[in-house]
Amino acid sequence: MCWVCEKYGKGGKWYLNPENYARRLYKIRKEGKEAAGADADPQAAGMGAGVVAELVKARISGDREWENEIKREALEQAYQTHFGQVVTLDEYLQILDTAYPLAKMTCGCRRVQRGMPDEENFTCMGIGPGMYKWERWPETYRGGVEFVTPAEAKEWAMMNHKEGRVQTVDVFGTPYIGGLCQCEYPGCVAVRNRIDYDFKFLLKGHFVAKVDREKCTGCKSCLGRCQFKALNLEVYTSKAYIDLEQCFGCGLCVTACPSGAIQLLERQSMPGLAENW
Amino acid sequence: MIAQINIDYALCRDPLNCRKCLSVCPSVVFVCGPTKVWKGRESDSREYKIFGRYYDKCSGCGDCVKVCPANAVQLIFVPREQLARKFREERAAQLKER
Repeated sequence: MCWVCEKYGKGGKWYLNPENYARRLYKIRKEGKEAAGADADPQAAGMGAGVVAELVKARISGDREWENEIKREALEQAYQTHFGQVVTLDEYLQILDTAYPLAKMTCGCRRVQRGMPDEENFTCMGIGPGMYKWERWPETYRGGVEFVTPAEAKEWAMMNHKEGRVQTVDVFGTPYIGGLCQCEYPGCVAVRNRIDYDFKFLLKGHFVAKVDREKCTGCKSCLGRCQFKALNLEVYTSKAYIDLEQCFGCGLCVTACPSGAIQLLERQSMPGLAENW
Repeated sequence: MIAQINIDYALCRDPLNCRKCLSVCPSVVFVCGPTKVWKGRESDSREYKIFGRYYDKCSGCGDCVKVCPANAVQLIFVPREQLARKFREERAAQLKER
């Protein structure tokens, strides 16, 4: 169990606890006088990107203490309000049976980092009563939302997984889960900041993917699936190699393997990785 | 060397619709975020502004300079140590104020 489970899991995984999707939890309010056209920081655009400018400065300066202070303060705030965690496709599908309503949205990260037109960029899933409040914060819902049934949402999630996107849950006012992302490196600001700057706005998932070296045939089907720079081919032995310390447990490599050679194991069952979120 | 990416905002007028530098950059250095948010309507695309947010990842390939139809992007490289010194001074001033 991760620390979020300990606090909000009721004995299980926190994002499978229906209470964390309950309407009475939905209380997030944006500060500021947006009606009048409030100033926004364009450099803070994208998921969890508020301190990137400072982080880059600290990195360049080589001052580790400064960098750690920025992270500590930003994450203390983020874990109370807005952060994410990687989940598997199976878990994602379970959540689609719990959360309501479900609405497809565009990805704000790829809009601001790649300028992708909204009509080509519907990969996020907004969930819960926030979906009825798009007129309050229209910029968040730029491009509109498209309400879907659970069956439609599942089919769409499976398609996204097949295409190679990592699935995550996103908190909007801890522990209220208001969004499900389907993302990639480096288009996703949260994934990018985690990989490039070790900024733990996005937590690793509850699983890790392990290669069965007997079963792996070296077919390379899994190569290119990992969005976390954790997977490559050991050329000399012709086997897939997964860096378990770097693995986020999304399962994208698992479903690409035709030989059943990659297995998802509970992070908690591996003492060396149990604290590695 | 570290890139200093200067955008001439008088020339770069509608970045979210243009998006050429965002699209071409091999290192996803740029971000194009809103400078204003409104209630009841989306921000106008002209209220967006481009920044070289991840300038520490810039390789200096120059594709953004070449692709910009308005000639609004300028790349200057400065020694890492020069920039590091500047940021360390900023940090020292920040700590002094506490």
